[in-house]
Amino acid sequence: MKRFILLLFISVFSISSFAQSNIKTETFKVEGNCGMCKKRIEESAYIKGVKRAEWNKESQILTVIYRSSRTTLEDIAQSIAKAGHSSEKAESSEKDYNRLPTCCQYKTQSCDH
Amino acid sequence: MLSAPLYAQDTTAKNLDEVIIRQRQKSTTINMIDPIKKEKIGERELLKAACCNLSESFETTPSVDVAFTDAVSGYKQIQMLGLAGPYTSITRENIPDARGLSAVTGLTFTPGTWIEGMQLSKGTGSVVNGYEGVAGQINVEWRKPFDEKEERWHLNAYQSSQGRSEANLVHNNRLNDRLSTNIFLHGRSQWLKLDQNNDGFLDQPLDKQFIAANRWFWFGPNRWEIQGGIKTVYVENTGGQWAYEKGSEQKAGAPWGFELNMQRHEGWAKLGKIFKNPAKSIGLQLSGIYHHQDARFGNRAYEATQKSFYANLIYQTFISNTNHILKLGASTLADDYDERWTGTAYTRTEVVPGAFAEYAYNAQKLNIVAGLRGDYHNIFGAFVTPRLHLRYAPAERSVFRVSAGRAQRTANIFAENMGYMASNRTLHIQTKETGKAYGLDPEVAWNYGINFTQKFQLDYRDGAFSVDYYYTDFKNQIVTDLEDPHQVSFYNLQGSSFANSFQAQLDYEVIHNLDLRVAYRWYDVRTEFQTGLKEKPLIAAHRAFANLGYETKNHWKFDYTVQWIGSKRIPSVHAHHNVGITGETRSPDFVQMNAQISKSWNDKFEVYLGGENLTNYMMHDPIIGAADPYAAGFDASMIWGPVMGINIYAGFRWKIF
Repeated sequence: MKRFILLLFISVFSISSFAQSNIKTETFKVEGNCGMCKKRIEESAYIKGVKRAEWNKESQILTVIYRSSRTTLEDIAQSIAKAGHSSEKAESSEKDYNRLPTCCQYKTQSCDH
Repeated sequence: MLSAPLYAQDTTAKNLDEVIIRQRQKSTTINMIDPIKKEKIGERELLKAACCNLSESFETTPSVDVAFTDAVSGYKQIQMLGLAGPYTSITRENIPDARGLSAVTGLTFTPGTWIEGMQLSKGTGSVVNGYEGVAGQINVEWRKPFDEKEERWHLNAYQSSQGRSEANLVHNNRLNDRLSTNIFLHGRSQWLKLDQNNDGFLDQPLDKQFIAANRWFWFGPNRWEIQGGIKTVYVENTGGQWAYEKGSEQKAGAPWGFELNMQRHEGWAKLGKIFKNPAKSIGLQLSGIYHHQDARFGNRAYEATQKSFYANLIYQTFISNTNHILKLGASTLADDYDERWTGTAYTRTEVVPGAFAEYAYNAQKLNIVAGLRGDYHNIFGAFVTPRLHLRYAPAERSVFRVSAGRAQRTANIFAENMGYMASNRTLHIQTKETGKAYGLDPEVAWNYGINFTQKFQLDYRDGAFSVDYYYTDFKNQIVTDLEDPHQVSFYNLQGSSFANSFQAQLDYEVIHNLDLRVAYRWYDVRTEFQTGLKEKPLIAAHRAFANLGYETKNHWKFDYTVQWIGSKRIPSVHAHHNVGITGETRSPDFVQMNAQISKSWNDKFEVYLGGENLTNYMMHDPIIGAADPYAAGFDASMIWGPVMGINIYAGFRWKIF
């Protein structure tokens, strides 16, 4: 009985730690223009497997927590690029960039706040 | 701090094309830093429900309960900490708003579209804002014309299946860097006659309502700020039995009618200056109100006029550094009441000048706000109002708050109890005194509260858990005694009257963009009536609440609210004419559901469709003695549940430029 409980404990622990080691926290730079784009960048980062995405408008750094068995950093960057925001990992196409509202077009506009 | 009348404004040139959309945050946030626990209800929260006016803006907020005052007038009253609406201080940007004659009806004078957000706090508040509120404070912020986030035009139209149409318009105009103005317009009409419970009475009175306001803001050189505004309200209600025609004679044999006409005109101004040291400032708030109402309940008439003037001067400074803030000031509150109920006149003038001081200590983990007020009331004499708020944060995400304070107010027994006029109960004031306020004493209460809030993150998503407990102890209260079915007796409290209130609430983002809120409340409100210490009638001891809100990537929003309301004590009533007086009963517990779906495009245009009271749960025979409204047993005020059935509504909100 004792050995069974020990085995159970070890297997539960190892399953949970295996699941835990799956979760990664990474950061990369995403181009964007002030507060208005924050929501768009963060929402486009929430693809399947992503737990949390936070973009800092001052440093332009996106912190993303995701399950590495479900998705990759490249997939996340692609999704953000599709929304019109280029990053060091993926370039946004002309078409997608032009769909951004005027003030969010970071290549030509600057942010006053 | 909440009480500063000034707005810090950044006057650098802005690119007006840009609109800042706030990051996704909880629609209602609990402030972790302020020693006074404030729930901030933002626009997102207000949009979850039909929210046509302030009395309907609390559908998704468990801290405030809303209930009909009676089955005839259509007015709703709020309840906080188990105490009726008039015990809560309702302010508009810190200027007293719905009080006096408009303590109950005043909530309908602020349309939802005009509101930018609200701050809700429980217990006695800061001495800077006065001495009256004991249950809490609801501070409403209107849209500001100088706010870059504001579009130039806000248009809203609403239509419900129960026959209510509404239109709102807000126009913001920034004339230049310094001067801005906005205009608010509201029109509403309840044009459909409905009697869903078949008692011969209209469920809601027919009504026409028009409200308009205009305000100006000027940010001058040397950090001067001046603000001024006016507001006007016109309301006309006609209800009662189906066959009743406006203005017809009321007597036995003719249909019983209800009429209410109100006119209200307000003007206000705020002046402020921030000194070279931004922690030093001075502000003056001024407000003048004229309110007149005319009501008829069958063959009984209630007519009242209130003239009110308020001035509040606040000087803010610090002692050695900004960890020690000191506020000093003086205020005057003057009210002139002229009321007439079934021919008897009641008039009084109250003038209350006072001075206050408030010290706020800020350290990293501990904040203390201690305030003291001294006021001199021309009728009741001098009184002192101490207030204390403590905040202790043992960890970054855990906060304990404690509050204690005294509150005093003059009960406006007629205006606050208009619901009981919809009956044949005699309104009887038990007093041997004359003068004072109806020959009665002022209400005095002490409130003590403790709150604990814990923010957490579970599976990388945010949540918050909050528990609070408040105890209100009345040293004097104007007891509204309903124990005798043929009377409403008003008398000074002899004995004890108290309210215990407990609330536990959990907020959590279950999955991304799906917010859950669950809450449970427990109330123990008892008063020593002349017949003994009893539960206050029509207050449920247990209430539970759950709300789910979901938002999709393409801007569809779904909101669902379900409430369980426990049993309430109903005092003895004079039932059907041949049964006679029945003993005390308890109402059944029931479940109420609301839901709303909305879709928005570009954050500019939104269409919404919703339903209220989805289970179609209605009180059977809410009006006692409805068959014979001129007989002794007629009583439309014993309302413990929904008076109307299911209501479907639709509308749109359009933000232009």
